[in-house]
Amino acid sequence: MPADGEPAPTRSAPDKASRSWSISARLALMFAVTAVAIFTLMGAALYRVLDRELDHYQREQMQGRLADLRYLLEHGRSPQLASRAAAKMEDMERGDPHTRYWLWSDDPRYRYGDGAERLAREVDPDGRIRVVPDAAGQESFAVLGAQLPANDVRPAVQLMIGMDAGAIAGTLLNFRTALMALTPAAALLVAALGYWIAVIGLKPLKQLSAEAQRIGRNRGGERLRLPVLPAELLNLAASFNAALDRLNTAYQQLETFNADVAHELRTPVANMIGQTQVVLSRSRGVAELREVLQSNLEELERLRGIVADMLFLARAEQGERAHDLVAVSLAGEMGKIIDFFDMVLDDAGMRVQVHGDAQVRVQTPLLRRALSNLLQNAIQHSLGSKLISVRIGLRDGMTAELAISNASDPISPEQLRHLFDRFYRVDDARHNSGESHGLGLAIVKAIAAMHAGDVLVSQANGLVTIAIRLPAAMAGPPGSGPAPSGLSAPREASRDNLPLASPRP
Amino acid sequence: MKVLIIEDERKIADYLCQGLTEQGWTVDVAHDGIDGQHLAVHYDFDVIVLDVMLPGLNGFDILRSLRAVKGTPVIMLTARDGVEDRVRGLREGADDYLVKPFSFIELQARLQALTRRGRAQEQTLLRVGDLAIDLIRRKVTRAGQRIDLTAKEFALLELLARRQGEILSKTAIAELVWDMNFDSNTNVVEVAVKRLRAKVDLPFGTPLLHTIRGMGYTLEERDAS
Repeated sequence: MPADGEPAPTRSAPDKASRSWSISARLALMFAVTAVAIFTLMGAALYRVLDRELDHYQREQMQGRLADLRYLLEHGRSPQLASRAAAKMEDMERGDPHTRYWLWSDDPRYRYGDGAERLAREVDPDGRIRVVPDAAGQESFAVLGAQLPANDVRPAVQLMIGMDAGAIAGTLLNFRTALMALTPAAALLVAALGYWIAVIGLKPLKQLSAEAQRIGRNRGGERLRLPVLPAELLNLAASFNAALDRLNTAYQQLETFNADVAHELRTPVANMIGQTQVVLSRSRGVAELREVLQSNLEELERLRGIVADMLFLARAEQGERAHDLVAVSLAGEMGKIIDFFDMVLDDAGMRVQVHGDAQVRVQTPLLRRALSNLLQNAIQHSLGSKLISVRIGLRDGMTAELAISNASDPISPEQLRHLFDRFYRVDDARHNSGESHGLGLAIVKAIAAMHAGDVLVSQANGLVTIAIRLPAAMAGPPGSGPAPSGLSAPREASRDNLPLASPRP
Repeated sequence: MKVLIIEDERKIADYLCQGLTEQGWTVDVAHDGIDGQHLAVHYDFDVIVLDVMLPGLNGFDILRSLRAVKGTPVIMLTARDGVEDRVRGLREGADDYLVKPFSFIELQARLQALTRRGRAQEQTLLRVGDLAIDLIRRKVTRAGQRIDLTAKEFALLELLARRQGEILSKTAIAELVWDMNFDSNTNVVEVAVKRLRAKVDLPFGTPLLHTIRGMGYTLEERDAS
């Protein structure tokens, strides 16, 4: 039991969760997540580019400024070189307050700026910019240094330039802050726009649903109106309409079927109730009572027949298939049925001619029932010519066809279409004869379906032809039936030419 | 003839008991599987009517324990007309089966067939009143007068005469004379009986071939009434 019980809730829980999210909300969320990811990547890349560009720019600036001093220190021949260099640095510092200069050497004359010694130790010997706090630890500087080897006028010196690091750091910080603030905002905006787009994009679905609801209200033959829908939904709507068509047909069939069943059953039931009431309302003799009981029994037999036939049709419709299939000759089986109907045909002054033959794989009792119903139908509805003709043949290697034709008044195409419907009678006046309750051809159709076959009806030259198609038997064993040529000669039903079925002991 | 009915539905058991008793059978009834098995195994019957769905023990169980000790003919009543039940019943030793709902005459015919089976002595001449049927020369005479019948008319008359006094339904006649074992909804049997009656009864005044409305036909000599 737990094994059965457990998976159900775990399976249904996520279903429920995902169902509660609308498509628009899901799309908006996905847009937002995508936006955050893309903006973050773009931001990181831009930040790096900006960082490198700023670094490059700063370096160019510093190197440019150092170049003048370098030139002075490398080419100056004046004995006051040290003081002239210091004066120039002081000059330059005054001109640009964000820049500072330092000079360091073992010779105390060639020293300039506070904390030059410490910087000289920290500065990168390979000429890379380094950020270093000043002597007081207040400001930090981006520092670039240059080693100038000793020449004949002066000792080796280390020249250093520092630019306020705060400006660039501040720029980068601002940029980062802006990115971090803008990314979620942009993501939110994308989500909102995404939601809006989704809502607009899904509008046709809403229309579709509204259309479907419109159809639901009055269950007539209404269909989805296709032109209002975009191309993507056309197929869906067309399939939906086709499904509606099928449902509608089935529904109508069911409705008429129910009405017909009610009608068919009501009459005999009402007869029995009435007769029984009449006979019980007075004191009656045995003969009268027997008469009513017998009449009731006849009605009950009719009811039994209808119910049994309806059960048979219901089982066929539920997909029951023929079983115990054997290969038989259609002409042979038709011959037996004609033999069965011999006296009825004789009474009606009718003849049956059979042409051709084919082997079929069938459940024999079902085939006989179908052929019997077909022949009975032909006999009942023959008008004019007293000849019923049966043509048997192979349509292709796989299908055998038996077509039975009788002379008839013209039947409208509408009537022909309904010929195999249950309780359908071409002449609408329901003749209450016990022989026919309008299920005969429906049963023929069901039997064909049980063999994966089909039935068709056609009308030409005053003849109505009903054909049943059944799967042909593959080249059967010799002697399993008469050869087709052997039966091509018309067989007259009035001859008693079949072996007698002797009663069982 | 003794028959045991093992059937838990009271209404069916009651009408079977009444109907068969009136037809001259000695009837015992068991309403559940346990009683039914006890009676079937410990007493001798000519035939047993056995329902498949029973409280206590089901029909197949009873059939198995019965077949372990004796071969009394058994006719099974199956509620569903599923092929499996019939096949299973016949495989496990049932002699015949009927699908519920069934008609009483149908059951009666099957019971008679089962009990007749043992003592099949082939008759060559059948007599019903002043009607004589020579089965070997296939000749029919009534009151000494020759009657010409077609093969099918003869087969029908032979069937009715072999079962004289017994009611034969149209379905049974269609099956036994024409080998058509399906609900045919045709009037073939009526037409055949009408023709037979025209030859066998009409010229002679007293009818032998009787219609039992709603049930079928029977051939017997009746007092004029």
